[in-house]
Amino acid sequence: MSELNAYLNPDGKAAPRNHNLILSLNSFCNTAAQGIHRSVNPTVLITHPHGRNEIGINKERLRKSLIGNALNPNVFSVLVVGYEDKSTSSFVNELRAKTKKPVESVLVLDNGTLGATKEGAEIASRLSQINSEYSREKFSISDFTIGLKCGGSDATSGIVSNPAVGKAVDRIINMKGTAIFSETTEIIGAEHILAKRAANNKVALDILEAARTNEEMAMSLGVDLIGTNPVPDNIRGGISTIEEKSIAAIMKSGSGKINGVLDYASTPPDRGLYFMDSPSAATEVLTAITAGGASIILFTTGSGNPVGSPVSPVIKITGNPYAAKKMKEHIDVDISEVITEGKSLQVGSDKVYRILEKTISGRLTKSEILHHDEFAPIPVGL
Amino acid sequence: MNAEELKRSKIVLLSAGDNVAVALIPIQKGDIVENSGKKIEATDDIDFGHKIALRDIKKDDNVIKYGEIIGVATENIAVGSHVHVHNVKSLRADKHE
Repeated sequence: MSELNAYLNPDGKAAPRNHNLILSLNSFCNTAAQGIHRSVNPTVLITHPHGRNEIGINKERLRKSLIGNALNPNVFSVLVVGYEDKSTSSFVNELRAKTKKPVESVLVLDNGTLGATKEGAEIASRLSQINSEYSREKFSISDFTIGLKCGGSDATSGIVSNPAVGKAVDRIINMKGTAIFSETTEIIGAEHILAKRAANNKVALDILEAARTNEEMAMSLGVDLIGTNPVPDNIRGGISTIEEKSIAAIMKSGSGKINGVLDYASTPPDRGLYFMDSPSAATEVLTAITAGGASIILFTTGSGNPVGSPVSPVIKITGNPYAAKKMKEHIDVDISEVITEGKSLQVGSDKVYRILEKTISGRLTKSEILHHDEFAPIPVGL
Repeated sequence: MNAEELKRSKIVLLSAGDNVAVALIPIQKGDIVENSGKKIEATDDIDFGHKIALRDIKKDDNVIKYGEIIGVATENIAVGSHVHVHNVKSLRADKHE
């Protein structure tokens, strides 16, 4: 086993990155947060179109995904850009109670966007310098939580990229690692297969219940899933139904025992493989699993998908020889030789694993290089 | 399957007993594909990654891929036909029209 070189973060967790996070608390703080991000190097940015007047589950999920991403191992310091004192202090206090990372804040109210940008940039400059003093140390794969996602799926996802990643996940779980997969709509039609892999009866029932609730939500809207899931690019790629997509999608989780079903944006209570109940769109899932602590993501794609995360590197893997060419700027691991040259899935899986190790140790992903830092903290839809 | 075998068979069967297989290169109408030594003539153009019927599938019969039910035929599908959203539908989250 080769060595992994990563950072030890202020909370004592292994981290592939040491980010200085600029976090906007609401839509009209985004401009100041962006200004700080553009002024100060290196920083990562979370902006979103929410933060005022949410109620109930939306309010809860917004809070949980923002707090969770700030707590992600890859984040070493947080600068919160809030509007007024009460809501900002409440957020900062909650974070400070949960982490030893530096957590600072600036307010837009009474300072204006320009004032908050200047004050924030000064604070962020100081934090960037502090973060730069961390150096990489040796870790093993079991020190990280690996997130799993597929997007822009096509027929090759079920034949090449998902089973290849599944083999890598089996290897990680066998070494006492931790992984999270998600996308509840994309277990519909395959929940019976997952339920058989449940660690116990309760987990099996939780899996079936998550699928049933999701399916009922679709039916209550009076729509069928075609055109929504599978989406048009899935259909172009040869996927005809949600069952066909789901059976292929779950292959990325390997064949291991499923230890539990996590609520949206929640952290695994232990090591091993977990399923997170969440909507299925790429940005929403990445936001939810990075909030749950995934510090590196294996992302399989058929037609190619540019999406990234502000806090965690997203490794794009394809088994589609056409996408590997047409979407080259977004693909980190091309394993299409499984189709074009008849190479074994094990060869593809080993390639995925090697790039995973390199990325943990500092190799940049295409999504990081191209500033793909999408963030969707209030999941709506299926 | 090596590159030479791929050129000959053009398709992959994902589980024994499936009634569809997947095109690994674009197939044109009239092309002969090979499944377990049996030759099948494609009666439609079938894109890379799309499915071909390995035998006649009757209306309302299950469509099987990966050894699992992926949907149901909405019309009679003849061997060699393209199998996709025009002749298969999901059994799940169905609005029961």
